[in-house]
Amino acid sequence: MSDLEPVIGIDLGTTNSVVATVQGGVPRVIPNRSGQLLTPSIVAVAKNGKKLVGHLAKRQAITNAENTVFAAKRLIGRRWGSKEIEDARRVLPYELVAGPEGNDVRVTVAGRPYAIPEISAIVLAELRADAEAWFGRSVRRAVVTVPAYFNDGQRQATKDAGRIAGLEVMRIINEPTSAALAYGFGKQMEKKVVVFDLGGGTFDVSILDIGKSVYDVVAVGGDTYLGGEDFDRRVMDWLTFSFAKENGGIDLRQDKMALQRLRDSAEKSKCELSSVPSTSLHLPFLVGGGDGKSALHLDKQLSREKLEELTKDLVDRCIAVTEKTLRDAAVRTSQVGEVILVGGMTRMPRVQKAVKDFFGREPCKGVHPDEVVALGAAIQAHALAAGPKEGTEVLLLDVTPQNLGIMVVGGYFQTVIGRNTTVPTSQTHLFTTVQDNQPSVRIAVLQGESDKAIENELLGEFILDGIRPARRGEVSIEVTFDISADGIVGVSAKDVETGQQQSITVTATSGLTEDELRRIMDEHLDELLEKKSTTGEFDLRRERAMSAIREIESLVPAVQAALERSKFGKDAVQKAEGVMARVRQAIDARDGKVLAEAEADLDRTLQLFKGLAGAGSRPTSAATSGR
Amino acid sequence: MNVANLAELLDHGIKAYLQGRVAEARTVFERVLATDPSNQKARSYLILMHGGSVSGPGRPVAAPPQAAAAAPPRAGGAPPGGAEEFAPSPWDDGPASAGTFVLDAGGGLDLTAVAEKSDLRPLVPEAPHVAGQAPAAKSDVQVWLQAARELHALGDFSGSLELIEKILQIDPEHREAREYLTQNEATLIAMYESKLGPLTSVPRLAIKPEEVMWLNLDHRSGFLLAQIDGAVDYDALFALSGLPRLDTARILAHLIAEGVITSQ
Repeated sequence: MSDLEPVIGIDLGTTNSVVATVQGGVPRVIPNRSGQLLTPSIVAVAKNGKKLVGHLAKRQAITNAENTVFAAKRLIGRRWGSKEIEDARRVLPYELVAGPEGNDVRVTVAGRPYAIPEISAIVLAELRADAEAWFGRSVRRAVVTVPAYFNDGQRQATKDAGRIAGLEVMRIINEPTSAALAYGFGKQMEKKVVVFDLGGGTFDVSILDIGKSVYDVVAVGGDTYLGGEDFDRRVMDWLTFSFAKENGGIDLRQDKMALQRLRDSAEKSKCELSSVPSTSLHLPFLVGGGDGKSALHLDKQLSREKLEELTKDLVDRCIAVTEKTLRDAAVRTSQVGEVILVGGMTRMPRVQKAVKDFFGREPCKGVHPDEVVALGAAIQAHALAAGPKEGTEVLLLDVTPQNLGIMVVGGYFQTVIGRNTTVPTSQTHLFTTVQDNQPSVRIAVLQGESDKAIENELLGEFILDGIRPARRGEVSIEVTFDISADGIVGVSAKDVETGQQQSITVTATSGLTEDELRRIMDEHLDELLEKKSTTGEFDLRRERAMSAIREIESLVPAVQAALERSKFGKDAVQKAEGVMARVRQAIDARDGKVLAEAEADLDRTLQLFKGLAGAGSRPTSAATSGR
Repeated sequence: MNVANLAELLDHGIKAYLQGRVAEARTVFERVLATDPSNQKARSYLILMHGGSVSGPGRPVAAPPQAAAAAPPRAGGAPPGGAEEFAPSPWDDGPASAGTFVLDAGGGLDLTAVAEKSDLRPLVPEAPHVAGQAPAAKSDVQVWLQAARELHALGDFSGSLELIEKILQIDPEHREAREYLTQNEATLIAMYESKLGPLTSVPRLAIKPEEVMWLNLDHRSGFLLAQIDGAVDYDALFALSGLPRLDTARILAHLIAEGVITSQ
């Protein structure tokens, strides 16, 4: 395997992302270039125009909120005007606009509109670069995870993001399935597994039926606006009110810098309280004192008990959502074989206790909840790259993520191809008319899990007309769904007696046209090439500078000899050493700008030394010739 | 005298100077210097009033110091320390590391290099000015502009910038003020950044974390200091700060000068 090109698994999260691989048969998380295992899924253009990704983007997310895009996952593959986008527009500080076709969503950052897959691509490209730095070689293939409830459009948009980032997305797999894979479930066991995923911004509960390498996500539930950030906000509110009480009503929320520090500190202390009973928050010079007074400090102790008190209702909400999901799926807690914890928030002892109390069993804790999804994706990527020969790992099949069907009378949804059907596949159902002499029928192709058509995603529609006059229920209309291996859905409707037929082809789309996708990919490629050429230019300058330094150093003895005979330029060698030190420092720091600036000084020093060394040798030769 | 009183006194002196009450202003600035000998602003204004030249080694002069040359010899007692010690600029200490400018054969700064580095260009010619004359007939804008020109010529770019900002509050389109704004800012940024060393170097706290609260900082410095974690470089700090580049550079240079942070 080590000879093969490396493959990676990526957990592209709403709040944080993680990249992992399998090395020497062991799955492991790849740290980013700053040494951290988690990379915030945040992209920003700073006020000075610099593009920031990950931790740096997060650290200015409040002070530069309008140009910082977070939680792009909530928007990916969504249509403009959908309920999810309208909800997001109410709470997001950055601007969302309709795409050029009017049906997809764009986000405006520093005055430039970006397609949502483009934002996700920037995060994926960062993770890819981290993996490349770690492997020391190019990485081109990845398995990427998505929530189980993502429809084809959202999955396609995630794939497009991968393409823009220069990755071949080998497979898109469900996050709960990935978590189960990381625990090695599915090899010799048949049981129901609940995945309790409390991340930074969302809460998902999934019930999986696992058996003989089949991972069936039988039910999903959750709250897309409940996560670790809500816990942070409770701590921030507590700090803000305490501070106002102690400092004559000064409201920290009015100061973006103070708020940014408050949030960073609240998150940090919350994480610390998972392992220690108490922590202190110390923020010196947090906010101006007003009326020319000195800046004020914040000093506060936060105990685990207090945190639990502040966030009790949030934990209760998680359990209520879990209970509802199980009830809807008609699954009793006693039927659950394992509970897997996913997401950083599940490290909170109070959350773990609530889960244990609810299910009446200890949840699985063997794999770090922040890493478990990425590790599963890495295992799947490894299995796909190794092929069936190794045969030791579970190879997931490409399946339909949600039910596919049409709208029937009463506004209901009739499934034609069920969820988790292996593709390619073809299914036919018979339908009939609802009115006497009905001349035509409207076929609305939908995807989703709801019995109500309106709650599902409309993929396309067409009219089949020319139906022969007949009493209602006497006409047979055959509706056929074909899904190709590429995920292209063909739907046809045929009047069985007359042979009159209409059809439609539906391709999962991210909202980007192929032309647009290519243009964006070209732009990103140009950016990459520009980065590489800057690196090449630096290497060239470094070589030139080092060559000049070697030449100067070789001239030093001759120059010193010349200077001993002169009243001037006694400090020339010292100055030259200063210039050379500056150049070396720029090389060590890989600072191309400073190196370029120092080049002229280095050249001047070299010319000066050549001149001095030449002058030093001339009188000697003149004296010799004079003899 | 506490800091607030000192600032008040300084403000009083500036107002007196701008309104032409030069003798009163001089007394006030001398009182400021007696309390705080390192007060750069008071020194700069005293130089203005005394017409002192600051074109010695190590002092950048953006335009020929016509005003200083045209000024009459200093009357009365010289301010403490003499003109040569006035208006210390950030150049005085020399770059903190990796100086960007080449010293010429005779020592001192290569002013051409400074000009290139800071995008400094020749200014519009200065109007002749005789120190001590009351600009009573001029509008506030004219007085401030004249003072800004002189401070600029003396190398007090911060003082000049402060006045230019006052002018632009009244007349945002003032052409000459805008030129001075650009030049002052570019020069100051270059000066402060030269203290930081390469922008790819990583600053670290040079004092114990528990000592931070004993410093005298404002909340913006506090914010920037909180971002210094031994992992982010200066380039990233400029992006993170959300402050204008000049303010960020000034705060960082100040933190280095005070020994609060150090570069690696």
